[in-house]
Amino acid sequence: MESIINITTWIVLAAHLLMALVAAWRVWRGENSIARLTALDLASTLTLAVLILISILEQNSIFMDAAIALAALSYLSTVALAKFISDQKVF
Amino acid sequence: MGNILDIIAVLFMVIGTLFSLIGVIGYIRMPDVYTRLHATGKVSVFGIVFLLIAAIILSPLSLWKGLVLIFFVLLASPSVAHSIASAAYRIGLPLAHPARDDLRGKMEQGDGRDV
Amino acid sequence: MIRILNISIPLFLVYLALSGNAQPSNLIIGALISVGIALLMPKRDMQFVPLKRLPQFLWAGIRYLFVVGWDVIRGGISTARIVLDPKLPLNPGIITIPSGSKSELGTALSAHSITLSPGELVVAMDDEGTMYTHCLNVDESEKFVAQAQSMRQNLLSKMFE
Repeated sequence: MESIINITTWIVLAAHLLMALVAAWRVWRGENSIARLTALDLASTLTLAVLILISILEQNSIFMDAAIALAALSYLSTVALAKFISDQKVF
Repeated sequence: MGNILDIIAVLFMVIGTLFSLIGVIGYIRMPDVYTRLHATGKVSVFGIVFLLIAAIILSPLSLWKGLVLIFFVLLASPSVAHSIASAAYRIGLPLAHPARDDLRGKMEQGDGRDV
Repeated sequence: MIRILNISIPLFLVYLALSGNAQPSNLIIGALISVGIALLMPKRDMQFVPLKRLPQFLWAGIRYLFVVGWDVIRGGISTARIVLDPKLPLNPGIITIPSGSKSELGTALSAHSITLSPGELVVAMDDEGTMYTHCLNVDESEKFVAQAQSMRQNLLSKMFE
């Protein structure tokens, strides 16, 4: 059973890394700024998933702390960038 | 007992990954920003939450951190989607083949103030 | 007093969940930090639930969570079907949904639950609380959202009246 969990987690991890790469490619080749911003949000969400999977693999909850920090930072940065794009100022 | 929980965790991981995959495919296939936001919202609502449930089942140390992260993700992802959509409508990105657009008249009158 | 308790108890619970041990020294440090942050918060008019209505609030809140969870699962499956369809049967548009809620918190919660379910997305909102909602499939969403919104509105008014 342990080996099944391990193999599934590795496959899922590879799939998430691949999807994060696709999202990063869409950040580079976006149609307009808002589409790039959406792709950036998608990439950071998939990176969050990668951190959660690493915490499953290592059986270590310190990666969950990193995931919480990444979630808070990506939320703030995406909202600030969207506001900057629409208003040309942050505050 | 432990075996059944492990099988449930593996199922949750696979279902979450499938939903994330559908979200990324939807991001590539959809024609404009607003419809893409529907697809990417699915990644954070289903993909992350299912992976977190699997993580909670598989490593009991991270129970409370996982619950806090589920709460935060479910609280934050709608406001991210709303802020991106609001910015897109304010800089005037067009909708692709809209069936109807109730907001356009309101914006031209000038009193459709965004939040 | 009730304002400080209302802010500091959630902060204390989050501190305990993140630090993850329940030794007395950690409990004391967490209580001090959370009360200190609550004292430093600026005084604003916030909407708090009075103590004697707490059971009714919790019961309506749990029912609200189940209603929203069911809507989220339904929206996710229908959006997945649209994405995986080879013809991509989109019928997008922006429709108006009245929130019907007097309080700001009720309006914010109904906008949150509408945006949380894939398939609907609140784009803008005006001063009367009308939500301009982008939908993937206009006809289906309009039919569905009308009944879902009345049910959620009923529960929200039970929570915050």
